[in-house]
Amino acid sequence: MSDHFSGPRALSDPAADITDLYAFPAPDSPDHLVLVLDVFGKSGPSAVFSDAVIYRFRIRPVQIAAMGPEAAFAPSQTEFRFECTFDIPSGRTDSGRPLQQGRCLTPDGRTILFRADDENGGLDSGVQVFAGQRSEPFFLDVRMIEKTAATGKLSFKPKGSDTLYGTNILAIVLKLEWRKVLEGGPLFAVVCETLASGKRPVRIERIGRPEIKNVTLSWKQFDQVNRNLEIRDLYNSEDAFDLKPDYFDVYRARMNANLEFHDGLDGKIDWPFDQHGNHPLTKLLLADFLVVDASKPFCETSYFEIERSMLEGLTHATPGGRWLNQDFMDFIYTLYVNGGNGPPINDGVDAPIAWSSKVFPYLAPRNVAKAAAA
Amino acid sequence: MNCLSKIPTSADWPAGPPRLTDGTIAVLNLEAQIDGLKDHGTIAETAALIDKLVLRGLILGRISDYERAAQLADRLVHDTATDAVAFVARARTRAVFHRFAEALDDLDRAARLSPEDAAAKRERAAILQALGYYYETLETYGAAADRGVQFEQAAALAGFWAEHGETETAQQFYLDSVRSYRGVSPFPLALLDFQLGVMWMRQDRLNEARACLGSAVRRVPAYAAAQGHLAEVDADLGEPEAAIARLTPLAISSDDPDYSAQLARILGEMGFGEESTAWRRMAASRYDELTAAHPAAFADHAAEFWLGAGNDPKKGLRLAEFNLRVRKTPRAYDLLAQALDANTVGAASARCSAHLAS
Repeated sequence: MSDHFSGPRALSDPAADITDLYAFPAPDSPDHLVLVLDVFGKSGPSAVFSDAVIYRFRIRPVQIAAMGPEAAFAPSQTEFRFECTFDIPSGRTDSGRPLQQGRCLTPDGRTILFRADDENGGLDSGVQVFAGQRSEPFFLDVRMIEKTAATGKLSFKPKGSDTLYGTNILAIVLKLEWRKVLEGGPLFAVVCETLASGKRPVRIERIGRPEIKNVTLSWKQFDQVNRNLEIRDLYNSEDAFDLKPDYFDVYRARMNANLEFHDGLDGKIDWPFDQHGNHPLTKLLLADFLVVDASKPFCETSYFEIERSMLEGLTHATPGGRWLNQDFMDFIYTLYVNGGNGPPINDGVDAPIAWSSKVFPYLAPRNVAKAAAA
Repeated sequence: MNCLSKIPTSADWPAGPPRLTDGTIAVLNLEAQIDGLKDHGTIAETAALIDKLVLRGLILGRISDYERAAQLADRLVHDTATDAVAFVARARTRAVFHRFAEALDDLDRAARLSPEDAAAKRERAAILQALGYYYETLETYGAAADRGVQFEQAAALAGFWAEHGETETAQQFYLDSVRSYRGVSPFPLALLDFQLGVMWMRQDRLNEARACLGSAVRRVPAYAAAQGHLAEVDADLGEPEAAIARLTPLAISSDDPDYSAQLARILGEMGFGEESTAWRRMAASRYDELTAAHPAAFADHAAEFWLGAGNDPKKGLRLAEFNLRVRKTPRAYDLLAQALDANTVGAASARCSAHLAS
């Protein structure tokens, strides 16, 4: 749900509205890399994938181009694409869900067929695909995040209220035998997109890192350059691997302003701006792809560890990427507010309604009955 | 036959016509959004739920959805009286029930809380249009278009000129809006097709109307109002069986009496008196309920019913007079003239002129 409400256009069709991207070495198989794309947050039981949308995974081998304050990645021009598309549902399953067939086009041109909600998914030579409705793995207290932005004071309560408790998403899970189906690595940059299919597919939205378009780019009031401008549709329309210079300063100014706001929430500056007037994280975050090291053992709390190591001039120790149930809001607020130089910030919500599994398709089964409010 | 009197060329869609989500999927997902939002309520989510309920009411012809949206909006304003979003949401539901003055009051309050709220401005323009303040409406839409918002404003202007019967201009804005559409949801385009279809119906250009309404139904097969109007066109083009086939499931499933009223009329014209009477009774009973609960919203349709298949011209006249007090649009005057005709054959024109002059 870190990317839901990420711009007016993304909201126009819920099945095209990306909520999250995850990338992690398979906990049950070190030879596999797992990628998860979630769409349609808070979806009711009749939710299905759109037949007019391409759900695209883009994977590029990436190198670390620079360490220290100028830390940067250099993604390769070689790209591996997996594209999932879906039919119009025909009938219902025994559980009452619409019966929908899907297919995944692999980089080498194979098509893997699968049935939505089938936990075994489709399988063909190093690639396993699942698609269907599952339990929302993300958790956060949106009201207190909004209050924090509105009041300028950290507003989390010791016991928060999970805005996503008991809700479901539509998920697509790819389990890849990465040495077989990808080239290069083991460091990969991952981006997911939804595109309107047709003669010339048009990107609806994209996601790399979590909470970029919401927590980090959405608040307008701190941005002294474009205070009244909704920039996220524009941002979504950009190629994550090839951000054009035309609007770069618009994103940079917004991100600098919002990161500065967050840094000030504890009354002290942990992230002094550099000589170019930029927050130290801005450049890395605007490289908006999820970086994962497929050769490292699975780790549940490794988001941004690669980047933090780069900033400190160290070699990373974890796979980075992002696991389904990492307490992301605690992590990001601690990172943005004190950079790890102060006490961890807790948003008062520490778990989803159901923990994800360590076996395919990893996400917990969908919540059938509406759970009681948190 | 196309929605337009001229056939679009490939130049109209250089990248091909837009590929849209199948209408059946779109309705399933609309249901899924409503189900998913109903127990989770930030202000924005409750406002979104209200919007989705209004949309489902519009698409599936469910008055109960409008009523539920109105209840939610009242509660939202009660709970969050300092948030413009709540007032805009309530204005929308009040406008659905033609409670335009109260809707404008809500928008005034929203404007005081958030002067630059674009949603409030769009809502105000739609209400001004419904009330017949066309100059002010056009000014609002024009200003919004100047700011570069493409699809929504072009679509609003297409609807505006369609209601005015300015077919050429309406078609141009229709094309502009379709060409600028970047979404995959079929609802916005189906709604636009419907508006153009109604325009052609009012112009008695039934083939064009059929094309537009057919396009709306192809995009969203469950679109009740489009199916209903298509049935009317079918009947007017001498295909009453097709009309009956379209209307019967709607009359059974919808809580909007328009469909049973139409069915009663067509069956009556075909000489199926008994069946016609059964549907007429059902429509009459439901119109009485609705005009008691939401008089402003249903006065015009109820008046049309009582002047036609309902066969109670006096009741039709009372409702037509009431409707004109709610909004002084050309259609409201036409309806009153029709009611006066039905009640005083021969003196209609004189009485109508006197009424207009007063």
